[in-house]
Amino acid sequence: MSGPKGILTDVTKCIGCERCVQSCRMANDLGTVLPFRWLLDDGLSAVRWCSVLRKDGKFVRKQCMHCMQPACVSACPVGALQKTAEGPVIYDSTKCLGCRYCMMSCPFGIPRYDWESAVPYVRKCQMCYQGRVSKGVQPGCTAGCPTGATIFGDRDDLLAEAHKRITDNPDRYLPTVFGEHEVAGTSVLYLAPMQLDLLTLGNKLDERPMPGRTATAMSAVPPVFVGVGALMTGIYWIIERRMKAERERAAGNGTPPADAHGHGARDGKEG
Amino acid sequence: MKMKRLKTVKSILWALVGAAFAIAVFRFWRGLGPTTALTDLTPWGFWIGFDVMGGVALAAGGFIIAATVYIFHLERYRPILRPAVLTAFLGYSAVVVGLMFDLGLPWDIWHMIVFWNPHSPLFEVGWCVMLYLTVLLLEFLPVILEMSKHPVLSAVYHVLHKFTVPLVILGIMLSSLHQSSLGSLFLIMPHRLDPLWYTPILPILFFVSAVALGLMMVTTESLFSAWLYEEEYELDLLQGLGRVAAGVLWFYLALRLGDLAVRGILPHALDGGFGPNLFWVEILWSVLIPATLLTIPATRKRMKTLAVAAGLTVSGMVFYRIDVGGLAMIESTGTRYVPSWTELTVSFGIVAGAALVFFWIAEHFHLMHGGPMIKGRERLPDVTNFRPRLIRGAVMFVSGAALATALLPNAAIDGWPVVAQTVHRPGYGDVMILDGNRNDKGVRFDHKMHADIVEGDDKCAYCHHMVKPGARATGCSECHKDEHLPTSIFDHRLHQELLAQGPGCLTCHEDTSKPKDLEHSKPCLDCHASMIPAGAAFKPRESPNIGLAPGYMDAMHGLCLRCHTEQDGNSSTDAPTLARCSTCHSGVVKPFDPLHPDQRLAAPKKDDPPKGDAPRDDAPKAE
Repeated sequence: MSGPKGILTDVTKCIGCERCVQSCRMANDLGTVLPFRWLLDDGLSAVRWCSVLRKDGKFVRKQCMHCMQPACVSACPVGALQKTAEGPVIYDSTKCLGCRYCMMSCPFGIPRYDWESAVPYVRKCQMCYQGRVSKGVQPGCTAGCPTGATIFGDRDDLLAEAHKRITDNPDRYLPTVFGEHEVAGTSVLYLAPMQLDLLTLGNKLDERPMPGRTATAMSAVPPVFVGVGALMTGIYWIIERRMKAERERAAGNGTPPADAHGHGARDGKEG
Repeated sequence: MKMKRLKTVKSILWALVGAAFAIAVFRFWRGLGPTTALTDLTPWGFWIGFDVMGGVALAAGGFIIAATVYIFHLERYRPILRPAVLTAFLGYSAVVVGLMFDLGLPWDIWHMIVFWNPHSPLFEVGWCVMLYLTVLLLEFLPVILEMSKHPVLSAVYHVLHKFTVPLVILGIMLSSLHQSSLGSLFLIMPHRLDPLWYTPILPILFFVSAVALGLMMVTTESLFSAWLYEEEYELDLLQGLGRVAAGVLWFYLALRLGDLAVRGILPHALDGGFGPNLFWVEILWSVLIPATLLTIPATRKRMKTLAVAAGLTVSGMVFYRIDVGGLAMIESTGTRYVPSWTELTVSFGIVAGAALVFFWIAEHFHLMHGGPMIKGRERLPDVTNFRPRLIRGAVMFVSGAALATALLPNAAIDGWPVVAQTVHRPGYGDVMILDGNRNDKGVRFDHKMHADIVEGDDKCAYCHHMVKPGARATGCSECHKDEHLPTSIFDHRLHQELLAQGPGCLTCHEDTSKPKDLEHSKPCLDCHASMIPAGAAFKPRESPNIGLAPGYMDAMHGLCLRCHTEQDGNSSTDAPTLARCSTCHSGVVKPFDPLHPDQRLAAPKKDDPPKGDAPRDDAPKAE
């Protein structure tokens, strides 16, 4: 095995035949799409992991981007989503507990849910990891593409090929490869003559990796935990000692100590 | 009649619990889709925004008061300690129950304990909930156990009592983490959250607001139970809490606005539009008005204004959490999610259940400083003598459940039905348009032709299963399986006619000793060398015997590609919408025009499926 794998989709070569969608369906044995209430109009659903979007006469294939540093993998509380060494981000339904945090965290809005089922799972493209990529066979979608608009290979090779195409045909493409730097890079890359905002969800992305955004807060957890504990124990001990002394003094003077409690400790409250 | 308020409130609560129970049954039977308004775009809705985010926030009173009494030794607040801890315990229990509804696979929640992903904020949240719920239970258990004379129970009571301070400290540690980590959850959603809410200091904002919220929650609760049980208000205690809360609220506001200023978002806050308006409503509601009321001594010390301030802070800070959990995402995602009444009822049912437990404990145990709220019940309940008081509750429970079941949508009860296909009735003649995808594109369906082809007495029943439930028709693909299968396109009769003038049968059936079938005939490509154009994207599967063509769909998709490739750049062949079957099959459905009855039928004839005239079997017979 050489480096991590990837998929390069050249929007200018796609004729919108949806053969990739069909091949994906065959390769993953997916069922029929029914017009359910909860579907988005991008064509993806729990039983369609790949779709073709239409915009200004161009066709853009939509699928999981298989981020290099995936938000979903860092978000999943039980590690049901994993980034494999080969590149695909895969899902283990036996671990999943159905919190759908992955769906909330994905900047491309890819994972979908079996809403109609009483035993629902998260569904998304896994780059045909189980049956194909792990055995060195290319995924269904790229194998099915009749025009070579979407191809499979080593991510590094694909990047080199993409930049070569840009150099060879500067008029045909925007000078950037979508997925090279977005959210710190994705395994799925796009060459296009226009901006591919239609592939992302919500506010504009930058090049920071998504998991890094929670990492700072998460790394603060142990020190905060211990710190709060130490602080509380300390305050308790100091006030307790002071009050004990006060009680003893009061006992010496013969005054009843009961009322001294509240007022004596008032200064500690603000501390 | 005494306690009338209490009876009315309890009846309503029981009805809510009953309604929630009925919906719960269908939620677990039919799944989330039919019983909620959640979508693929908005997978977290009211149950997360209100139950989880709100529930945790409302529980903040527990650790705040525990710290006040045990750590800071402010003994005069001890009277409200027990109700605050109980509220926290019930709040967290409500969070867990609410989560059980929201999780897709709630029976797998133990996976949290076994499968670890420490990078996930939700992992931290999950563990905090589990541990803190345990700590709260241990913190509160003495209130129950002190009533018992059983030797084992009193032994447990004494052990727990000894460990009160360590438990309280552990509770504060877990709470601080948990309140803030609810904010961390949303740090990974910069794409969804409006920049007025998305900030790296979300965890800090959540923690600080939880302190104010906790103080005001204790206030609300103390005022409410005094009102409910028609007792004295503990105003001098509560105004002290209010003064501290005012300080915390102002600090929170400074943090909030300071953060916006540092990140340079302040101009955006003054933009107008949905996000900024929501922001100012929230600030006004959760901070500005209550903090002002709490800062002015006159309003802080009066019961009514204090109650308003407390109510505003509590609801406002829950509103802040709902904003972060959903409302501040509306603009960026364009979602049209509105919680369904089923979701609302379940949430309120859970809160109602928690309130009923609270009342029950308040009535039977030393929760309030005045002792049990209903005199003469200072003992563990007698299980054998339970019935009389429960009848009213049971009636309300059943009524609520019945009402909810009656109101549930069909989908929630029957499961999600297969949506019936719209059929455009034939306007003229016998051709109708079947719009299976309901996208205003349909397939021309020649009903008369189908009726003529199909034979037998029960020919109508081939498609119209009138005896089946719902009288659903047979889908096209049940008969037209060959859409995806190889088809014979070899026209034997045509070859016979053409070759009769020339070499005759021997052209193809060269060896007379062999049977005259496809297998022993001359390959098509021997004569039709140009049948596969150079550079064709598609190769017939059975080459060189290309008499077997690919399935019709493959033929359309595969064979057309060559021309499209050749004429790349020509806009007319830029494959505009070729991919959908209905593009060729009649296109956009036009309304029927009686003046041009044939217009709809005049759509491209070339797309009609090849007539299955010359199948393979003809070959041997053709001698």
